[in-house]
Amino acid sequence: MREMAMFDVIVRGGTVVDGTGAPGFAGDVAVKDGRIAAVGQVSGEAKRVVDAQGRVVAPGFIDPHTHFDVQLLWDGAARPALEHGVTCVVPGNCSLSLAPLKASDRKAVVGMFQQIEEMPPEAFTTAFEWTWEDFAGYRSALEKGLSINVAPLVGHSVIRLWVMGPASQERAAFPDEIAAMQALLRECLEAGAVGLSTSFVDLDEHGRPVPSRYAQFEELDALCAVLGEFGRMLQVVPEFYATDITIARIDQLADLSIRHDIPTTFSPLFDTLAVPDNAERAIARVEEQFARGARVWPQMQTRPIDISFSLLRPSLFFARLPRWVRILRQPLEQRVAALNDPDTRAKMLADLGSDGGEAMFGRLVARGGDACPPEYVGKTLSEIAGLRGQPAGLALIELSLENGLDVAFLSAGQGHQSTDRIGPMLAHPLVHIGASDGGAHLASFSTYGDTGYLFSEFVRKAGAMSLEKAVAKITSETADIWGLKDRGRLATGQCADIVVFDPDAIARGDELPAFDMPGDGMRYVRAARGVDTVLVNGEVAYAAGAYTDSRSGVVCV
Amino acid sequence: MELSRQRRFVTPAPEETIEDLAARALPDQPLQAAVDSIKSWNLHVFAMRRPPGLMLGSDVIFVEPPLAHG
Ligand SMILES: [Zn+2]
Repeated sequence: MREMAMFDVIVRGGTVVDGTGAPGFAGDVAVKDGRIAAVGQVSGEAKRVVDAQGRVVAPGFIDPHTHFDVQLLWDGAARPALEHGVTCVVPGNCSLSLAPLKASDRKAVVGMFQQIEEMPPEAFTTAFEWTWEDFAGYRSALEKGLSINVAPLVGHSVIRLWVMGPASQERAAFPDEIAAMQALLRECLEAGAVGLSTSFVDLDEHGRPVPSRYAQFEELDALCAVLGEFGRMLQVVPEFYATDITIARIDQLADLSIRHDIPTTFSPLFDTLAVPDNAERAIARVEEQFARGARVWPQMQTRPIDISFSLLRPSLFFARLPRWVRILRQPLEQRVAALNDPDTRAKMLADLGSDGGEAMFGRLVARGGDACPPEYVGKTLSEIAGLRGQPAGLALIELSLENGLDVAFLSAGQGHQSTDRIGPMLAHPLVHIGASDGGAHLASFSTYGDTGYLFSEFVRKAGAMSLEKAVAKITSETADIWGLKDRGRLATGQCADIVVFDPDAIARGDELPAFDMPGDGMRYVRAARGVDTVLVNGEVAYAAGAYTDSRSGVVCV
Repeated sequence: MELSRQRRFVTPAPEETIEDLAARALPDQPLQAAVDSIKSWNLHVFAMRRPPGLMLGSDVIFVEPPLAHG
């Protein structure tokens, strides 16, 4: 008698959406030794059967733009990314990574993460032991506890800092320094880096441009030659607020892509009603560059830009008010003193213009759930100012001071919020869905749940693309763009990264504050809705609303 | 497929001053006029940046005004 096949897991009776964009079909997915062993009508038994009746079974989602570099060291699931169905994250974006990094440079890079990605310093000092300097060492530290897969970029700024020290923020590199950077990048790629990230826009905590911005194009070109030896990715942050500069960056990336035969991606690309042709012009240029053989993938996020803040900490909300930034960056006691000081306060209010801050702040909404008096919760600052008989700017400062600064405001719809405009862009074959910034901007907005929002807003509500297309956009297409081998498809032999979800319910939950960062640090999160089960390399990592203790994640490069 | 014409730019050479760059990019113009033009076309470097005018090796410096888009 023929022996019955024995699998580790069978996901039974769902609609298989295999990640290629092909129509879903009724079937099972069987897993053995971390790989997909069969797809279709599977007979045989398994140690564990996952019931997928009425559910979609899809490849795990891949998030190509995150800053989970540090969180992964104490939370190998990158919570709550994994519960949203994300089985692979790319940290190390925007020129910043935690390796290669000399012990003496840690403080500088932590400062950059704090300033650029809005992450608290405690996250870097209290939750893990900093045991490595080189990339291989960082990789081993990561691999101790991963339950999600990781494809880490290495940051141009840290490579420059390693080779040039303080001069990395002063001048162009000499030829021998460029050669040393090339050798260092090569070492990182050999140790599992998925590519190189650079930034043309970011400032460190002292307001100085980050090291990567001091690089001549020749330096970037030399580093891309090394990427070319491995066929790896170059990621950049362009001047996304200025269309002409973004297009210039697209042209630079295209030249690098063609010359070195590498993929490149820039993120973010936003739609904004303030510059209605911004994304359209950038995408048109991308089409021209692809037609001549370049690979320049614009990354676009699904979620609208909403920013929350309180005066408890600095926020990118105040980016256009340098005096406010300076004051809010002071230690708590000095900050409160400054906000109480009549002279300082007068200057701050003068910065807001002649309307007392009505135009800038009037539409802010008091979020509640903090020290805000209940009578103000849910009201706009304009309404609150009216009730208090004060101009908006003064109401913001005084209401905050009266309540220990613990009053959070939401600034909704700061851009990228028109579903009708964004849907077709997300569906565009050359637009790469990503740019979540997962794990960053902790107290400004939730960077989790963009995949759920893709389905709830753009598949179910707007019909901008089919469910199969949406799945393909964040699975096989991402894997192909990034060269992630054996990921992104449900097919025999592929790695068994699988998400089982309810197509009628998958969504992002409400944005809520959580106090789960080291040192009781606050961040905004969104829980997943409609995601039943997540498998990573064949093991169940999340099921029935709970994380398991599986540690099956790997560095998957 | 031919690339459509986009706004022309250069990147600063190491140690290059605005005068050097203006003379290189707009050799037919009087130097001061060239400098003024470069400044006015690149507010992201010469007005919005702190300190204003700090040129970085990775900067995009436009050498002509914005093109009309239709
Ligand atoms: Zn980023």
